[in-house]
Amino acid sequence: MIAFVSGGARSGKSAYGEALVRRWQQQRGGARYYLATASADDGEMAARIARHRAERGSGWITREAPLALNTALAEVEAGSVVLLDCLTLWASRVLFDSSLDQVAATALLEGTLAQARAREIDLVVVSNDLNEGMPPDDELSWRYLALLQAAHCQLAAEADVVIQVIAGLPQAWKGSLP
Amino acid sequence: MQLVIGGACAGKRALVRGWYPQARWHLLGAADGILPAPGERLVVSGWAAWIEAAVERGADDDDTLRLALAERLDVLLAAEAERAAQVVLIVEEMGRGIVPMGAARRRLRDLNGWLAQDAAVRCERVWYVRHGLYRRLS
Repeated sequence: MIAFVSGGARSGKSAYGEALVRRWQQQRGGARYYLATASADDGEMAARIARHRAERGSGWITREAPLALNTALAEVEAGSVVLLDCLTLWASRVLFDSSLDQVAATALLEGTLAQARAREIDLVVVSNDLNEGMPPDDELSWRYLALLQAAHCQLAAEADVVIQVIAGLPQAWKGSLP
Repeated sequence: MQLVIGGACAGKRALVRGWYPQARWHLLGAADGILPAPGERLVVSGWAAWIEAAVERGADDDDTLRLALAERLDVLLAAEAERAAQVVLIVEEMGRGIVPMGAARRRLRDLNGWLAQDAAVRCERVWYVRHGLYRRLS
């Protein structure tokens, strides 16, 4: 199963994603992984990571997946349940810290999803909805938004379950609430 | 008339292209009186650019501009009925972020929101597109 969970800032999307991973793990067994796109580059990011880690509690195997999601997933045991949080950071690394263009980024994401299916990994991808405010007025932000939205549309098309989280409450856009 | 609303790069155009591959697409220009031809399916987008151009000209106040936009909607609606055509409006959702710093961007955001409301009450069906998925709102 693949789930795509998104919402606004502090909407409760990460907590919902975590709960979903726990539920799926209870149902099918296997290890519980956390693939972090964040790395502690500065004090604020370190504090955010510490907060999320404390909220998740124990029982998670944490791996960093800043850019190569497919490589990180390859190191996950087959049959596991995986939380990938958060796709917005991955998109900024693609744009600012890599030579990948949008086609390559799409292929990378495609390969990651295909691998999850092939190796029977249940995958929950968490991301931030950023496209319903003012459209950007500079070219770089447009490229970022276009890249992120392409990834969101790709995920929504391929996921079994698509959830929007508002104030901690999940709304199903595709599939039924797990 | 139908309204398709959604955020930037939400998949609005792809959805409408999938529904109506034969439709004629029209991107609004600054001084634009687009009307559907008899029997045709016409997709009208570019409302934000039209509003932006009007705001940049700076001539009219908000109420006048909103009224001008609503009148354009009425003209499209009347032409659709008279000509047995079908019109699809594509409008961007842009009202869910922080308040823009610049006055012109604030006006664009306000006018675009009013446009969406004024279009929704005139349309038979309203669709909301999010990450390529959609829901019918009315």
